[in-house]
Amino acid sequence: MAEFPDRHASTPPGKSAVSPWLVTTLLILHALVGVALLGGITHQAVSLLRARPDRNGSFLARYAGVSPPPFTIAVIALYVANVVLGALIYPSYRLNVRIPFEEMSLGWAIGLFELKEHFAGIGLGALPFYAYTWRPDSLAAHRRDRLGITLLLGVIVWWDFVVGHVLNNLRGLG
Amino acid sequence: MKLRFSATLFLVAFCVLYALVFALDAPLFRYYPLHGDFNWGNGVLKGVGPAMTWYGLMANAGLGAFVLALLIPDRWIERALRNFLWLFPVATMLVCVFLLRKFFA
Repeated sequence: MAEFPDRHASTPPGKSAVSPWLVTTLLILHALVGVALLGGITHQAVSLLRARPDRNGSFLARYAGVSPPPFTIAVIALYVANVVLGALIYPSYRLNVRIPFEEMSLGWAIGLFELKEHFAGIGLGALPFYAYTWRPDSLAAHRRDRLGITLLLGVIVWWDFVVGHVLNNLRGLG
Repeated sequence: MKLRFSATLFLVAFCVLYALVFALDAPLFRYYPLHGDFNWGNGVLKGVGPAMTWYGLMANAGLGAFVLALLIPDRWIERALRNFLWLFPVATMLVCVFLLRKFFA
């Protein structure tokens, strides 16, 4: 077990001063916002990939038959909200989850989380360009960029969601 | 001088700066969550628990990219790299995978 000097006597070593119920609430919110974001970005990406409208009435045709531009603002708002929520609970992960992972020699789990965190940050930095490619005056000029950046955000969101669940199953924050 | 934010330049600068700052382990600051301590710059504090660098990495890459996106004209980069710009975040993600490979060895 990592040992730290007891500089603040009220906080036991290896424990965050933030109350567990607050961390759990934020973690649940993080997951719920993640579900909404997953739905929004997947809907937009599928409709972008299925450029030719299919009017046969199938589920996939209806799923892909939406107009993708209105999803942009929702995706940006949900993405930013989810990164903020993740950043708020990150210290609890660092103290209460990562240290046990290190003790259990679960290096791959730490690596998965590190990738999740870095991919989320890169996605956040890509949001202004994502918004730019979806502007009406950029639609024609940045067709391939729009497809690439939207699919990339979709991959990041799916990766972060799945990894978050796997790590939470290994050891939750509570 | 008229300042105009360029999303294209922000993307390129953010991706390049993020990869550089991560590779050089040079975040703007480190956060020590055990007692809520911050340490500016590259130094590492001893005896205050584990450090977190991600906030500092984001701040470093974000602030640097924001300044560059305001100051540098984007005409050349828009013309030369149009429709290949999405590859910058992909490359930065691959750099991250490479730098974190020790966790999967």
